[in-house]
Amino acid sequence: MLSLDVTGLEMRFPGLASPVLSIDRLHLPAGARLAITGASGSGKSTLVNAITGLERVEHGSILWGGEDMARLSGWQRDAFRARHIGLVMQDFHLFPGLSAFENVVLPVRLARRLSVAEAERARLLLDMTGIARPAQKIETLSRGEMQRVAVARALLSKPGVVVADEPTASLDRSAGEEVADLLVRLSREEGATLVVVTHDPALSERLDRRIRLAGGVIIEDSGEAEAA
Amino acid sequence: MIRFILADLRRFSGGALAVVILIALSVALSVAVTLQERAVRLGSARAAEKFDLLVGAPGSETQLALSSVFLQPAPLPLLSGQVLARLADDPRVAMAAPVGFGDSSFGHPIVGTTTALVAALSPTLAEGAVFTRLGEAVVGADVPLSTGAEVKPMHGSVETGGETHTEIVYHVTGRMAPTGTAWDRAILVPIRAVWSLHGMAGAHEEDHEHADADAGADDHEHEHEHGHVDAQARLDEHFDAGTPGVPAILVKPKTIADAYRLRQEYRSETTLAVFPAEVLTRLYGTLGDARSLLLAIAIGTQGIVIAAILLVAIMHIGSRRRQIGALRALGAPMRSVVVIVWGELFLLFLAGIALGGGLGLAVAELVSARMTAATAVRLPVEFAREDWRLAAGFVIAAAIVSLVPAIAALRLSPAAALRS
Ligand SMILES: Nc1ncnc2c1ncn2[C@@H]1O[C@H](COP(=O)(O)OP(=O)(O)O)[C@@H](O)[C@H]1O
Ligand SMILES: [Mg+2]
Repeated sequence: MLSLDVTGLEMRFPGLASPVLSIDRLHLPAGARLAITGASGSGKSTLVNAITGLERVEHGSILWGGEDMARLSGWQRDAFRARHIGLVMQDFHLFPGLSAFENVVLPVRLARRLSVAEAERARLLLDMTGIARPAQKIETLSRGEMQRVAVARALLSKPGVVVADEPTASLDRSAGEEVADLLVRLSREEGATLVVVTHDPALSERLDRRIRLAGGVIIEDSGEAEAA
Repeated sequence: MIRFILADLRRFSGGALAVVILIALSVALSVAVTLQERAVRLGSARAAEKFDLLVGAPGSETQLALSSVFLQPAPLPLLSGQVLARLADDPRVAMAAPVGFGDSSFGHPIVGTTTALVAALSPTLAEGAVFTRLGEAVVGADVPLSTGAEVKPMHGSVETGGETHTEIVYHVTGRMAPTGTAWDRAILVPIRAVWSLHGMAGAHEEDHEHADADAGADDHEHEHEHGHVDAQARLDEHFDAGTPGVPAILVKPKTIADAYRLRQEYRSETTLAVFPAEVLTRLYGTLGDARSLLLAIAIGTQGIVIAAILLVAIMHIGSRRRQIGALRALGAPMRSVVVIVWGELFLLFLAGIALGGGLGLAVAELVSARMTAATAVRLPVEFAREDWRLAAGFVIAAAIVSLVPAIAALRLSPAAALRS
């Protein structure tokens, strides 16, 4: 479980006069569950990329439990993410040719030897996500099942944070509900801080706090509303 | 890791196969050129080994060597029989054997010579015994005639429209052991039988004396008078001033110093003396130039192939940026990403190099086999130590080239890679 402190964050892209994202302050206590909403192009993914270290941060600081992501090199950010952040993306990013189980353990296997405990945990997670046959080739699964495998993969290394960028956007309603339920339930059980970008009101309603972005700025924050 | 690489390669199996074939073909080209050139060089050097010194009439050194070593049919000027007599009595000479070409049977050259040369080529016969009468013959290891078979000599060859000699039919009495030279295809008969057939019987042969023996001898096309041959006559391998002319004499000097001295002595107005090995070496000089050219072409194609592969690899990486970005986003360490990208390409290179090596070897073996079938000269296809160095060079170059897309893959941030 990690807390998040964003201060003075400004993301710019070459060729664009104004920043795509500009956040003065955002504090998220450890174990909190945050929904990020906003129109397309409002900067949600840019925010996710910044806090997960997928993109380099030039201005501002991003503290995860005290460690400043903005001051790490690309290499170090990759390592930090591997250790602390479980990612779920809109288009799954599963690897065809490998089974569901192999996909779940792939990031660990590429880093080191898979321990017996990790293999056991992978099977348990697949079981909890309702994948009946872990040996099934990934490309033969339904889209809902694929995203559930991706959720299991994100949780394998017991990350302190789970970040999901529109995890249900490419799924039909019922599959989306299953994945949303899984994300909320498992991150609570695992005790991970949860950050979800979503358009789905049913999903955002289930989280403790919602912020809305527009033009790269936070225009609404249920947490501050409560605090006020 | 390996499983991931293999799964990935399976997904792109069509492209991977194309890349492997491209590499294999270019490697095969240089392997075949290298091996074949070596095979020809070693094979003919070995074929020439048995022929230390050749003496002939003045003319082309190359032709003298090629005709004697490879039994290549070509009209050679005749050398006076006196030279043969003189060489046979020379104390520095271990053996001096006349070689008379000109006739053939079913494409096999018939060579007139002495028992001494048969013994030199095949110290023990594989089968039967050496000829003891004018009408007997010993065949080379590759001649498909068994002991007792009949050989009807034809003047010249079928291609040159030769006529069949009717005066004699040789009977095969023995077969030589394989020598790996063109002589394995030859039919060896007593030199005196050849002389008689061509109306060139020696002065001491009572029945026939032909004044024109020398006069028309340099011209194989001339209407020569055919003599009578007594097939039952005993061999006479003693040569003197009255001995007819011969196109070439094979000489085995007793020592190396003798060889050089003899060559010196017989390089004169009336005679020509050559070391066949030396003549062949000179020929390989030109062969070697051809090889350099071919190798340059082969290496040129390799350069083009490597450039094409790099292009393919970089485009491939372009289309796989998302995958690489995803791997990094999910926590795969950079070194694994590098190993995956590098490993996939390197595996393709290795497969191509191995396949190309095999293919080149097969091509060289095939060409050698065909050339051996045609000439009987065994052309050994073998690897040398420098080949392994070359192969290691290829592998190292492949390893380095494969790094290029791997490094290119890391220059993007994972977010940028995922967006593409
Ligand atoms: N690499 C980039 N270069 C230029 N502009 C970008 C880049 N990535 C995102 N943007 C712009 O930044 C804005 C926010 O993008 P994004 O964070 O992806 O929005 P969303 O809220 O839909 O996830 C958009 O206007 C987009 O066009
Ligand atoms: Mg987005």
